[in-house]
Amino acid sequence: MSVIKISNLTRDYGGGKGIFQISFRVEEGEVFGFLGPNGAGKTTTIRHLMGFLRPESGKCRMNHMDCWLDREQIQKTVGYIPGEISFFEDMTGAEFLRFAARYRGMDVGGRQRELLDRFELNPKTKIKKMSKGMKQKVGIVAAFMHDPQILILDEPTSGLDPLMQNRFVELLAQEKKRGKTILLSSHMFEEVERTCDRVGIIRAGRLAAVDSVDTLRRRHMRTYTVTLDSPKRAQAFARDFGGVCAGNRVRVTASQSLETIFLHYYGGGGKHA
Amino acid sequence: MLNRTLYIREMKNSLKLLVIFAAIMTMYVAIIITMYDPALMATLDSFVEVMPELMASVGMQTGATSLLGFMVSYLYGFILLVFPMVFCILRANGLIAKYVERGSMVTLMAAPVRRETIAATQMWVLISGIVILLGYITGVEVAVCHTSFPGELDVSQLVKLNAGLLCLHLFIGGICFWSSCLFSETRYSLAFGAGIPALMYVIQMLANVGGKARDLRYVTFFTLFQPEDLLAGESSAYAGAAILLLAGCAMFAAGIVTFSRKDLHI
Repeated sequence: MSVIKISNLTRDYGGGKGIFQISFRVEEGEVFGFLGPNGAGKTTTIRHLMGFLRPESGKCRMNHMDCWLDREQIQKTVGYIPGEISFFEDMTGAEFLRFAARYRGMDVGGRQRELLDRFELNPKTKIKKMSKGMKQKVGIVAAFMHDPQILILDEPTSGLDPLMQNRFVELLAQEKKRGKTILLSSHMFEEVERTCDRVGIIRAGRLAAVDSVDTLRRRHMRTYTVTLDSPKRAQAFARDFGGVCAGNRVRVTASQSLETIFLHYYGGGGKHA
Repeated sequence: MLNRTLYIREMKNSLKLLVIFAAIMTMYVAIIITMYDPALMATLDSFVEVMPELMASVGMQTGATSLLGFMVSYLYGFILLVFPMVFCILRANGLIAKYVERGSMVTLMAAPVRRETIAATQMWVLISGIVILLGYITGVEVAVCHTSFPGELDVSQLVKLNAGLLCLHLFIGGICFWSSCLFSETRYSLAFGAGIPALMYVIQMLANVGGKARDLRYVTFFTLFQPEDLLAGESSAYAGAAILLLAGCAMFAAGIVTFSRKDLHI
């Protein structure tokens, strides 16, 4: 069953800006990566899903409901991390989360506590004084605390340090196991590659390709096996380059840069197309 | 059509502004009312004779014979029009347009709460603020009159007068609120929400001076609030207040509809 279904979604801002004829589906229990450079139209597409924007043409549906007309109904089961986090600056993190829960009409549950612990967030700081990463953590807690069935995550790890990025990836894996449907936008191939089942690639407002991560990986990741003098040196090499060590051999992978991947889809590197 | 959690948060935000305005109003109302003294009246009237245009522009006239007439002349031409108007402008802008501009509207939108409910809640916050401010002013007026001039104030007449004033400020609040809903940037929201009432007040000042400019009174909504005629019980004054109230409600409703239908780039 398709939980998210976008068909021929278009919004033309003029001058080549906007999104054009975007169509894709996200199935139940799937993690879908929405990959593209800045300004490609990821956030514009997501704003349509959230019911902030009315489609000029085309349709967005979630759970078989229209994202513009039935937005309040849809929001009951959606958790959202906006691309640009902006909360009520006058509140502390704790006050904000209490507000967000009550505003939704729910009690402040144990899940909130658990998420705060997971991300080591002390919510007693005024949001105004929080760093980008701390605000991002508050955003994550607010999006997950009501245990939504659908997660719309717009560059959710921006501002997080690598340790917290890992915790976030773990959280996504757990949620996926619990059957959640997740749409994750990102401009980093590695992030999408680690978390998603399928990937939609968007550039200049057009969807270039929808592929499984395995296909993408095969196409755009190169694996090398390096043989070193001794197992000890091999271990050190594996540690430094993030490889897999076996004896004195190390397998390392390198992904092509996003630009190279895009070139592949846009004719610049037409040899595979 | 009201989200209680949001209403409480916003009323807390209103409180600070309300305290400031209440303090200013207390000061002005107390000072002006205690100046009511037949002997001092002569002094004030002499001001009017020296600079008739200036005094007339802010609604001050000579020959007020009763305490209430004196208050109408010296409070209801400028102070009680302009200060609550500034409150409306500031608060209305902060309730919708500011959140859209800063992006914090996302928090309110990414929840199973109808847009109509969000806008209506913010509207009730603004209306509550206006009612509280005018209610407080009425209280101060009664208290000051009672202590300084016991028995001289007809409270029911004062309530009638302030009900008319409330209609005027609900109308102004309607303009500010609609403007806040219409524009996604506070500079435009303020340009219209503050610009229109301020311009109308300037026109009212010109019209008050009289002469040829008197005809300008037909282009400003302030003309619909006629304190003297309200006190005199003239039907035209009641009609004016009713028009202000109805038009104000219509603009609040228009604001809610506008907000519910518009695209939000947040």
